[in-house]
Amino acid sequence: METPQYVAARIQRALAEDERTNELGIRVDVRGDQVFLRGQVSCEERRHGIEDVAREAAPGLTVHNEVQLLEVSDPGEEEHL
Amino acid sequence: MRALRIAAVADIHLGEDIRGHYRKKLEGIEHRAEVLLVGGDLTRHGTIEEGQVVADELGDLPIPVVAVLGNHDYHSDADREIAAMLRDAGIIVLDDDAVVIPLDGTRLGVAGGKGFGGGFAGKCASEFGEPETKAFVRHTKEIAERWRHALKNLDADHRVVLSHYSPVKDTLAGEPPEIYPFLGSYLLAEAADAEGADLIVHGHAHLGTEKGMTPGGIRVRNVALPVIGHSYVVYCLDGEGVH
Ligand SMILES: [Fe+2]
Ligand SMILES: [Fe+2]
Repeated sequence: METPQYVAARIQRALAEDERTNELGIRVDVRGDQVFLRGQVSCEERRHGIEDVAREAAPGLTVHNEVQLLEVSDPGEEEHL
Repeated sequence: MRALRIAAVADIHLGEDIRGHYRKKLEGIEHRAEVLLVGGDLTRHGTIEEGQVVADELGDLPIPVVAVLGNHDYHSDADREIAAMLRDAGIIVLDDDAVVIPLDGTRLGVAGGKGFGGGFAGKCASEFGEPETKAFVRHTKEIAERWRHALKNLDADHRVVLSHYSPVKDTLAGEPPEIYPFLGSYLLAEAADAEGADLIVHGHAHLGTEKGMTPGGIRVRNVALPVIGHSYVVYCLDGEGVH
C-alpha cells in the first residue's frame, strides 16, 4: 500500500491545482484506507467538487467529506483603533 | 480631524456558482462605513468570467470601494483584464500605488497591492543562490520598495495599507508554520513601519487570526472571510492620524 503521507500530499495538490477546485485551504488526513477532508467553502457545489477531485486522486480509498459550508453573518460591532 | 469608519474584507473568492450572494450581504453598508476595502482573492480561478461576477457584486455601491488582487486572481493570467473590468465598474484597484479618497472633509489615503511571500525576520528566504529563489525574493523586495515610495508621497489625514499577503506572523496563527513563507513577508511591514500608517489590512491566510501588530506598532488585521466570519468588519480610526 502507498504511504499515507504521499497519498495526502497528492490529494492536497490535486485540490489546489485542479481547475474544478483550486482550493488551497483544505486539510487532508489519510488513515489506512480512509481519507478525511476538512475545511470551509462557500457553497454546496464547491463542497461536492472537492469530494470528486479527492476521490479521483485516491482511487480505492474511502473519502469522508467533512468540509463545512462557510457561515457568513452580518457585520458585528465595530472596532475602535 | 474626525474619526473614520472603514469596512474591510478579503478572500471572497466569488464565482458564477455564488453570484448574488455576497452583494446581498453588502446591503446597508453605507450606514455602517464610509469606504470598503477588499484585500484580494476576489475570485477562485482568476478568470475573466469570475472577474465579471466581482465587478457586478462590488460595483455601484453607495460608498467607494478600494481593492487589491490576490494570488487566485492571477491564476489564469488575466489579472490585468480583471483589474480593468473592476475599474470600469468604478472600483479603485491598487497595484503597488496609492489613492487619496476625500470623505466628507477627511482624506483617507490607501496604499498597497497584492504583496508577496518570503517569510518573517530570522526565518525568511534571502536573495541568494538559484535564479528561481532570487526572483521570488526580489519580487517581494520590489513590491515593498514601491509601497514605501507610495506611502512616502501619500498626503492624507488617515493612512491605511491594503494587501493580500500578510506583513506579520501574528495574524497567521492557526496556519501551519511550514507555509508561513508563502503567506507573507516582513518586508511589507518594514515598509509601512518606515513611512507610517494607521492600519494594515490583509487576507490570504484563511486559517489565520484577525488581530496582530507590526514591530513598529501598526495594527494589522487579517480580514479573510473565513477568519472574520462576517460579511465584513468595520474599523473606526479615531481622530489622531499617524504621520
Ligand atoms: Fe484566499
Ligand atoms: Fe490568497
